[in-house]
Amino acid sequence: MAGKTAIIASNGTLFDAYKVYNIATAAAASDHEVAIFFTFEGLNLINKEAYGQLPLPEGKEHIAEGFAKGNVPAIPELVEMAQELDVKFIGCQMTMDLFGLEKEAFVDGIDVGGAVTFLEFAKDADVTLTF
Amino acid sequence: MNADKVLDAKGLACPMPIVKTRKEMKDMESGQILEILATDKGAKADMTAWAKSGGHELLEIEEAGDVLKFWIKKG
Repeated sequence: MAGKTAIIASNGTLFDAYKVYNIATAAAASDHEVAIFFTFEGLNLINKEAYGQLPLPEGKEHIAEGFAKGNVPAIPELVEMAQELDVKFIGCQMTMDLFGLEKEAFVDGIDVGGAVTFLEFAKDADVTLTF
Repeated sequence: MNADKVLDAKGLACPMPIVKTRKEMKDMESGQILEILATDKGAKADMTAWAKSGGHELLEIEEAGDVLKFWIKKG
């Protein structure tokens, strides 16, 4: 492994999803070991019902056209790619409980854990990012 | 320049050219050359950085209109 990247995803718009998954897949493609901790609205990014239709941020709805033209991959496609590249997904147990969501609501292959699970991974990471 | 394999990543946005390049490279032998075609302008800097971080050798970059061509030798 060339490095280690730890990401916290705590927001749930389409912009947030691209920020998180673009960096995660790029890091994994550069042979980094990558884990993403999904918490609060960030859980939308792995929620099976939500991740294919994430909203644009308020007032930025007009950017939808740019996304269509830019030939950017769809979020479910990026998720699949990230998982193929062995990016580890950790759902935050505490916020899942708060929102009344079970593990089954999310894409397959996620781990569920708490803050310490993420900190254990992140403590010796070369790159740590929060979105 | 002769390449052992060609990857067409034209029309793909960041980070797809890198992700696809990595996928192709994985199945190649050390010393083999991959030619990559891309239209993502950011690929010029990204491919250079990716090759460096992965221990590969970026042999040449060529621009033909909107298309960027890269030749990378696997390290």
